[in-house]
Amino acid sequence: MSQVLLNPDKWVDLYADALYSYTLPRVNDAALAEDLVQETFLSAWKAREGFKGDASEKSWLFTICKNKIIDHYRKKAKDIVQPLAEKDHSDNYFDEVEHWTQEDKPADWGIDYNSALDNKDFYRVFEACKKKLQQIQQSVFVMKYMEDLDSAEICKALDITASNYWVLIHRAKLQLRGCLEKNWINL
Amino acid sequence: MNFFNISCKKATYLVSKKEEGKLSWLEKIQLRGHLTICSLCRKFEMQTGWIGKHAGHVHVEAVLPEESKERMSSALKEVGE
Repeated sequence: MSQVLLNPDKWVDLYADALYSYTLPRVNDAALAEDLVQETFLSAWKAREGFKGDASEKSWLFTICKNKIIDHYRKKAKDIVQPLAEKDHSDNYFDEVEHWTQEDKPADWGIDYNSALDNKDFYRVFEACKKKLQQIQQSVFVMKYMEDLDSAEICKALDITASNYWVLIHRAKLQLRGCLEKNWINL
Repeated sequence: MNFFNISCKKATYLVSKKEEGKLSWLEKIQLRGHLTICSLCRKFEMQTGWIGKHAGHVHVEAVLPEESKERMSSALKEVGE
């Protein structure tokens, strides 16, 4: 049955670039993204008997690929078991009475926050800013905002507490906002 | 300084926490009060909300090198044999 629904011979031609394009901004590493795409195909091949045709071949492959990305973050979290840093770069955005500093206070972006965004510059700068985050902050940010996982799943996958999760998400947002403002808004 | 006054640092943290629907009643009051008087933290809320909304739509059009694709094809063939 599955032979009829799936065309493994065509997978690479049809989906390799799409899967790679999806994976690359989520792991920020070309060689790693390529490995994950390859693993996606191999896992899909092994699981082909389980494919019931409920979803399209393409979305089935994307689901496998997403799981590979999350697995990657899970493994990475194990490698970098480090206590949550007490101090973070983003602490510098505030002065001794915890008000925004003159230098880092949010500026007017002069954009329409409700309009759609079609801007290559934004995504280029966004990628660069994301790379500057600490690894664990990146993991949390990608899992939440790019993989749409809920906080319980993320905490479990990365083996962190809920309160550490808040702090990590928050620091990631502070830094991304600041970095985007400096490098994209002020282009 | 009274009980309801919070700093910008705390307010931005509560903005992030609010997004997950995890504010206590006191924190809700504190945050609302702060945002009423602080345009910087209002900007922070608006901008980070906007970033979160667009992060999921990051789209790059990346193309794998031909030799990578060939490697993948032959790996697939190998397991298929």
